[in-house]
Amino acid sequence: MYIISIIVTACTNIISVIGLALLTGYTGMFSLGHAGFMCIGAYTAVLLNKYLMVPYVLALILGGCGATLVSLIIGYPTLRNKLRGDYFAICMLGFGTIVRLILNNMNNPVTNGALGLTNIPKLTTLWSTLLFTAALVFFMWNFVHSQYGKNCVAIQQQEVAAEMMGVRIVRTKLLSFAISAFYCGVAGGQLAFWLQYISPATFSDTRSNDFLATLVTGGTNSITGPFLAAAILTSMLEYLRSLVNWRLVVYGLLYILIMRFRPEGIMGYKEFSLKKTIKFFKELPQNWPGYMEKFKEKLTGRRKRS
Amino acid sequence: MSTILQQLINSVSVGGLYALLAVGYALIYSVFDFTNFAFGGIMMVSAFAGYFSTQLGLGTIPAMFVAMVAGVALSVAVELLAYRPMRKRNAKRLFLMISAMGVNIFLTNLFLCVFGANLRTLPSGFASNTITLWGVQVGTVDIVAFVTSAISLAILCFFLYKTRSGIAVRASAIDMSTAGLMGINVNRISLIVFVISGITAAIAGMFFGMKYTVYPGMGAMSNKAFIASVIGGLGSLPGAVLGGFVLGILEVLVAGYISATYRDLFSFGAMIIVLMFMPNGLIGKGDQNKL
Repeated sequence: MYIISIIVTACTNIISVIGLALLTGYTGMFSLGHAGFMCIGAYTAVLLNKYLMVPYVLALILGGCGATLVSLIIGYPTLRNKLRGDYFAICMLGFGTIVRLILNNMNNPVTNGALGLTNIPKLTTLWSTLLFTAALVFFMWNFVHSQYGKNCVAIQQQEVAAEMMGVRIVRTKLLSFAISAFYCGVAGGQLAFWLQYISPATFSDTRSNDFLATLVTGGTNSITGPFLAAAILTSMLEYLRSLVNWRLVVYGLLYILIMRFRPEGIMGYKEFSLKKTIKFFKELPQNWPGYMEKFKEKLTGRRKRS
Repeated sequence: MSTILQQLINSVSVGGLYALLAVGYALIYSVFDFTNFAFGGIMMVSAFAGYFSTQLGLGTIPAMFVAMVAGVALSVAVELLAYRPMRKRNAKRLFLMISAMGVNIFLTNLFLCVFGANLRTLPSGFASNTITLWGVQVGTVDIVAFVTSAISLAILCFFLYKTRSGIAVRASAIDMSTAGLMGINVNRISLIVFVISGITAAIAGMFFGMKYTVYPGMGAMSNKAFIASVIGGLGSLPGAVLGGFVLGILEVLVAGYISATYRDLFSFGAMIIVLMFMPNGLIGKGDQNKL
C-alpha cells in the first residue's frame, strides 16, 4: 500500500511537471503558480462527482477543462501584445495565492472554506493512474514533436525570428499555457480522489515550487528528463521525510547552481532512451580514457581562458 | 472625514515604501532587462539584520545602517555569484529569472528553517507614538517612512541625473553594449545598480518591519512593488514612483472600506486591468522607455 501510494503521488507529479515542461521548457514562460490550476481541477472534479454524479474519468477531464478555462482568462491579458514574460511570471505568482485566498474565504457548505472537502470517494486506483499518466505522456510526446511543439520551441529560442517565420506568438503561447493548465487540473483531480481530502492548503506555493524544481533538474527541453526527475525526486522525498522542510532551501540552491553551470538541466535537449543507456554502459570501459581526456581538456581550457 | 484623511495618510506612507521598492526593481529591470525576483529575499534579510542589531542594543538609526550594509552586501553577492557569470554566457532571460527566483526561495526558506516562522516586532523609538495633524491621529512611523522614502528618492534622482556615474547608469539602461563601447565600465555600473537596489530594499524592509513585523515571508511584499512598477510602466523611474503611490492608496482604501482579506486580489486585479488597457503602464511610453 505504501509503495502504491508513492507511485500514485509520483504519477500525479509527473503529469503536472510534464504539463509545466511544455510551458516553461518548450515555450519558455516561467510559472510559479501551477498549483492553483491543480486546485481548480481538484475542486471542479470533486464537486462534479459529489453533486452531479459525474463519473470519475469524465470528472477528471472536466476538472482539467475548468483549469484550462481559467488559464485562458488569465492568459489573454498577460500574454497578448507580445508582453514580456515578467508580467506573466508575476501574475502566476499571484495566481496560486489568489486561488487559495478565494477558496479559503468562500464559507459556504459546498466548498467549505478553509476546512476543505472531506469524504471524497477513493476512486483513483493504481491502474487508472498509470493509464492516465501513460496516455497523457503519450499525448504530450506527440504534441511536442508535432508542428505545434516546434512552434513552441521556436518562440522560446527567438521570439522575433519565430514571428517572422509565421508562427502566431500569442496563439501558440496561449495554447501551451492552456494545455499545461489542463494537465495540472487532471493531476489535481487525480490527487483529490486519492487523498480523499482536499483543502486550499493542499495546493500551496510549495507544490508549484516542487514542480519547477523538478522541471529544472530534469531538463527544460525534454519530456523524459522531467519524467525521470519527478519519479526520482518524489520517491526520494518519501525516504528523506525528516529533511522535508529543508528541501526548499536545497531547491533554491539547485535553481541557482543548475542555471549557473548547466541551464539545460540534467537531460538537456536529449531524450532518455534505454538502448543508448545500455550501449553507454557497455562501451564505458573502452571509452573511459577518452572521457577522462575530454574532462582534462575542459578543465585546462577553462583555466587558460580565465 | 477624519477617517478618510487618516486612511489617506496611511496609504501615502505605504505608497512611499512601495515606490522605493518599485524603483529598486525598475533600476535593475531597465539596465539588465530582467526582473530581479531575489529582491524580496534581500529585503527580508536586511530587515532581519536590522532586527538583530536592535536586539543587540543598537538604536533605530544605527540598525538601519546595519540593515543597509547587509542589503548591499547580499545584493552585490547575488550579482557577482549568480547573475554576472550567467550574463557573461549570454544566458536566456528565462534562465536568469529562474536563478533569481532560486535566490528568493533559498533565502526565504533558509530563514524559515533557521529562525522559524515567528513574527518579530522590530522595536523602534517611535513605532507606537502618534502625533496629531489637522485633528487626525497619525503614527510617527508613517510620517518618518514617508519622509525617508521621499528623501531617498530625491537623492536617487539627483544621483541619476546630475552625477557622472548616474549618467553612465542611464546610458547603460538605454543600450548596454553601446555604453560599453563608449568607454563606460559596465561592470562598475552593474555594481552601482545593485548597491542602490540593496539600499532601497534595506530601507523599505526596515520600515515594513516597524509598521508590521519581521518574518521570513515578508519578501512577498516586494511582489506588490513589482505590481506597482508595472502599473506605472515597467522600467520607468517616475512610473515606478507613481505606481507605488497608486497601489498604496488602492490597497489601503480596499482594506479600509471593502475587506482586508481581498487586498491582494485587488492589487493583482489592478495589474491585470492596467495590462489589458494600458500595456505600457500609466506613464510608460513603450518598450524602449527607459529610466
